[in-house]
Amino acid sequence: MRKSRAAYPLTWRVMDMLEAIAARLWPARFARALPYLMLAPAVLLVGILVLGLVQIGDSSLRVLDTSTFLMSEDYTLANYQRALTESFFATVAGRSLLGSVIVTVITLILAFPYAYLMVRTPSSALRNVLLVALFLPFFIGQVVRAYGWLIILGNQGMVNEALGLVGVPPMRLLYNYPAVLFGLIQYMLPFAVLMLAPALTAIPAELEAAASSLGANWLGTFRHVVLPLARPGLVGAGLVVVTLSLTDFAIPAILGGGSQDFIANAIYDQFFRTSDQGMGATLSLLLVAVGSLLVGLVFMLFGAGTLAMTGERK
Amino acid sequence: MTGSRSKSIVIWTFVITALVMLSAPTIVVLGASFTAGNIITFPPEGLSLKWYGAIAQASDLRQAFVRSLIVASICTIVSIPVGTLAGIALAKYRVRFARSIQIYLLLPFTIPLIGSGIGMMLVFGNMGVLGSLWPVGIACCVINLPFMIWAVTASASNLSPDLELAAANCGAPPLQRFLYITLPAVLPGVITGSLLMFILALNEFLVSLLLVDARSVTLPVQIYNSIRSIITPDLAAISVVFIASAAIAIAVLDRLVGLDIFLKSK
Repeated sequence: MRKSRAAYPLTWRVMDMLEAIAARLWPARFARALPYLMLAPAVLLVGILVLGLVQIGDSSLRVLDTSTFLMSEDYTLANYQRALTESFFATVAGRSLLGSVIVTVITLILAFPYAYLMVRTPSSALRNVLLVALFLPFFIGQVVRAYGWLIILGNQGMVNEALGLVGVPPMRLLYNYPAVLFGLIQYMLPFAVLMLAPALTAIPAELEAAASSLGANWLGTFRHVVLPLARPGLVGAGLVVVTLSLTDFAIPAILGGGSQDFIANAIYDQFFRTSDQGMGATLSLLLVAVGSLLVGLVFMLFGAGTLAMTGERK
Repeated sequence: MTGSRSKSIVIWTFVITALVMLSAPTIVVLGASFTAGNIITFPPEGLSLKWYGAIAQASDLRQAFVRSLIVASICTIVSIPVGTLAGIALAKYRVRFARSIQIYLLLPFTIPLIGSGIGMMLVFGNMGVLGSLWPVGIACCVINLPFMIWAVTASASNLSPDLELAAANCGAPPLQRFLYITLPAVLPGVITGSLLMFILALNEFLVSLLLVDARSVTLPVQIYNSIRSIITPDLAAISVVFIASAAIAIAVLDRLVGLDIFLKSK
């Protein structure tokens, strides 16, 4: 008897032991609750965000007492009133909104041909080059990319030095509105292309062939066949780009040099320069409301797209 | 075929503009890191590796880099079990309120980053843990968790439920079925997801900026703080760390799942 047990491989015995522990901890009659147990850690982790939003909401209802530099004990809506009436915040919000709309339009114009070529090209080498060129900046991070632009566009930057060689006096290319928009467009391109590509993949190439065999030139095909069919992708990509550029911090901070603040920079300043936590929280909450509304719209209209978390059951 | 020629001219004009915009900063940073001069000039003053020597000496940069590695590791280690379990649960089981849970788990993507960052700053600040590195790691994990869950569900949906039933039929108890059938099936997704989590946490900037203090700055924040003064090539040399890790991540991703997975329509 003892001998045969020794012939049992060690791994089997370990597995049996683990199995027994698992069965004791989570008996079979709880089996139906198992998926909820598996989801619990993720739900808890995201709960930190919800807790954060609650805290922001709480802070936004308190005003800063300028004599003691403490937050008031009782709740008031004074911060919201200030945020909606003071012209400084209106300027920043207007600048961010206008900026994000311009960025979105230009990004989509640049991203569409890129995604189209990437999807339609018969050469897999070209497709890979385009994909790598897309992912590399995506994975490098905003700070390093903005730093690259500083080297290129700075007062002693490459463009100005090169212009100097042919006798053009140095120009101020940085720390202005166009520089911020330019940086944002570069930041947004990968997002836009990756949102557009699946939509373009879904358009059969035969449709375009059919249109041209019926006598449409490529502009006509593009206008009347490709563009209307790609509209869901365009709207989705557009909304994502609007939201991300509206709420961006790093590019306006680095390429705007403090003079071209977007909403996120104003929030940061409220917390770390003015130390007015209540005002900062109010602005954050307003931004979260606008941002969530926009993204919620995307998900409502198109589902979560490539990020949908229920793969089709097969 | 003049039509198709004008079409390719138009497309290529846009694509080349986009390619130049996308790649210019990377190439310039790469080039600037090898300059022999003390400031970055054009044309470059010659090639040298001296700035790499300089950053090897600079202890603040090195420490910031180590901190970034720690943050990225914490983020990845936390996200692997959390994301894998959640992903399998969503893909394999019929969960009640599945749609609401999904929307809830997508919150990190729908809440603007500055909002999430400020919120977590307040939460961790009230707990009195700001200044240590693990809150930064947890925060990076929270904001990117949907990537991990997405990667796992994408590979779990390829798993046929019959396989597990077959294993059960052969007498495999639940834990064995999970370890020998389910887990290997979702492993490619887990690897893809953890790679994404690691690389995104390594260069996460805004959330780090909000959660670190002077003693715990991570590398992106350190670079951001140094940018304010003068542009010297040592920053370019340290930035090459990010470029290199991005390149490695892309190569591994391409090997594992193929980059064109992102082109598929749903």
